[in-house]
Amino acid sequence: MTLHQHLPSNPRSIKTRFAIRFLQTLKRLNKNRPISSSLREIHGRYRIVKLAADASMASVVGSRRVWSRALLWKIRNRALRCNSMKRKRIHALRVRRRGGGGHPTRESGFGQANDLRKLVPGGEVMDICSLLDETADYIKCLTTQVQVMRNIADLYTS
Amino acid sequence: MDKNLFLNAGNPPLQHFEPSMPTWQSLSSAVELNCSSDQSSDCFLNPPYWDKSSDQYTHFESALSSMVTSPAVSNSAMSNESFVIRELIGKLGTICNSREISPPLMAATTTGTPYIGGGNNSTNTSCYSTPVNSPPKLRMAIMDQLVKENLPNLRNSMPLNPALPVVSADPGFAERAAKFSCFGSRSFNGPKSQFGLNNTELQYKSSAPSLGSGMLPRVFSSPSLKAAESPMENKHSAQTQMGMRSDNGFGSVSDKKLSKLSGSAANSNEESSVSEQIPSGETGSKTPNEMNSRKRKAVSRGKSKEDVPIQSATKIAEADDDTNAKRPKPTEENGNEFGGVKTEEETKGSTNDEGNESQKLAKANTKPPEPLKDYIHVRARRGQATDSHSLAERVRREKISERMKLLQDLVPGCNKVTGKALMLDEIINYVQSLQRQVEFLSMKLSTVNPSLEFNMDGLLSKEIFQPNGSLPHPVHPLDPSAPAFYGHQPQQSPQQKNISAGPASQCSADKLDATFCRNFGMQLPPVEGFSEGVSQFPTFCEDDLQSIVQMGLGQSPNQATEFRLQSFPVQNQTSCMKIEL
Repeated sequence: MTLHQHLPSNPRSIKTRFAIRFLQTLKRLNKNRPISSSLREIHGRYRIVKLAADASMASVVGSRRVWSRALLWKIRNRALRCNSMKRKRIHALRVRRRGGGGHPTRESGFGQANDLRKLVPGGEVMDICSLLDETADYIKCLTTQVQVMRNIADLYTS
Repeated sequence: MDKNLFLNAGNPPLQHFEPSMPTWQSLSSAVELNCSSDQSSDCFLNPPYWDKSSDQYTHFESALSSMVTSPAVSNSAMSNESFVIRELIGKLGTICNSREISPPLMAATTTGTPYIGGGNNSTNTSCYSTPVNSPPKLRMAIMDQLVKENLPNLRNSMPLNPALPVVSADPGFAERAAKFSCFGSRSFNGPKSQFGLNNTELQYKSSAPSLGSGMLPRVFSSPSLKAAESPMENKHSAQTQMGMRSDNGFGSVSDKKLSKLSGSAANSNEESSVSEQIPSGETGSKTPNEMNSRKRKAVSRGKSKEDVPIQSATKIAEADDDTNAKRPKPTEENGNEFGGVKTEEETKGSTNDEGNESQKLAKANTKPPEPLKDYIHVRARRGQATDSHSLAERVRREKISERMKLLQDLVPGCNKVTGKALMLDEIINYVQSLQRQVEFLSMKLSTVNPSLEFNMDGLLSKEIFQPNGSLPHPVHPLDPSAPAFYGHQPQQSPQQKNISAGPASQCSADKLDATFCRNFGMQLPPVEGFSEGVSQFPTFCEDDLQSIVQMGLGQSPNQATEFRLQSFPVQNQTSCMKIEL
């Protein structure tokens, strides 16, 4: 009823498509979710939700972009070799690495490009030019993702 | 039919024989005899057209055509192409002492293919398979007409072709021959890949007009596009017919071109460099005139090259449209900057020193990129080095600076930052913060009570209603688990959120209070669990987040935190949460 009044101006925009897809995923996830409050469960759920967000974002963008392809590839590979122990180990490693990533080891020229490569999925194999290109697109999609997720979270927490 | 066209081609120039070419003169009578045969109105060599051409080589061309026509008349069948070819070659062989010409000619004839250094891999190149010199000369007159407005500099800049010493007794003729040969060579480089190395070697070995012979049909197709604007329909149709005869592929393209001069025709023909160039150029929002003129000027005119190539090709890596790329700019194809360097040096005479072009200068001289072409033409500015390496470097730098500008627009607060290093730092920080926000929000969403329905319609409508999610509506019933964890403000817009959070927290404080008291018992376990979970992730609660949280807490310390402290004995929460409402 209210949907028609509030239809998005661009129903095919990335934001709308991501929102729809993410909500569907969340719905599916929450159906099977047991109501538990253990830390581990919450942590696992958090990871699943994050994966769902990234995956839905990347799939909305499609294979047009290197970063979306790389992200989807990573997720699928991870699912393939899914092993709970491995996952936790990997996550721990990643957390530790990321914790130390805030150090400003700035080099002149494009030395920082290495840092950027680590941030942008699939950035290791690209040259500077396309890396910057992909970064721009990645930033754009990240902002939409954050907006949508924040909207959803606000809806459910308000 | 090819023969007929060629016959027709030979007819008009019959009046303008150059007396300095005795060999041809002897055939002039034959030409006159044959001139009346197979005349069609759509012959592109209409008398008015030919009248404009210079007298010097039209005679020659008519003589050549006569040579062709005489055997053609005797043999009505088209299958005598090879015979005609051999005859002509034999005749020309005596005339053209250039060794360069004859081997390709002989090679062509021996192979039996109608192709002679024309770059045409189609079989119906009969009329172009005639001796190397003859078709180019024929077309030279035509091309003269076609391009005389467009190639004013070409004849001045292009060196004379040394391969035509005999036939060009007239310096003016040699000049034009050189012009067209260069034109042909220019257009030839494009489809080099298609026709294989053999052709290219032949091309380069033989005289330049031989190149032009093969290329001219393609060039003709380009004026056929111009025909939409020009009133010379007959000429163009005939020319395109010639093109058709020479090459089936070209013919199809030129047919289409005639029919749809808007330029959507070159879809099928990979070989037609010019024809494809034009539609793409047209679809790329260029007028056909512009494209044609740019192509013609491209070799010698730095300015035109600046227009077309820089507009079209700024991404070497992105070969989006392979077909468009190389054909009309053959000389520049080699190594992207080498040709550019040469021509630039010709026209600009840039100096020696290692120029450090500033990026601002780059903007002045370069055009916005067009992703259609896959190679770049760069013009060396005055005072800049014309070394190919430095040119490539400059192109690369310009691309990078362009992208940095785009990123500057995306990343908020980067307007004052100058320099690549600082920009990169900002970009990296921004990407990191965005990723962290996603993680936090996913954490938040993971703790949402599953009993809540994910009502798609309602969600979407509400979400659309609040595009930025800056202020949640206070009308929604408070989620039991929600108050423990509110949205974290992004690093970039703390002010906005703080401002909204401040008053909102006050107005909805009572509501918060009521729901808190009501749901306290039920909420505690999940919230507790969550808060423990939150406290477990100090790595995520990094410095910026802590600061934000403290800012938020500082803003609304009164009601919300008091509630928190009272309701939830777990102390860790408060450090990581803030009330948004």
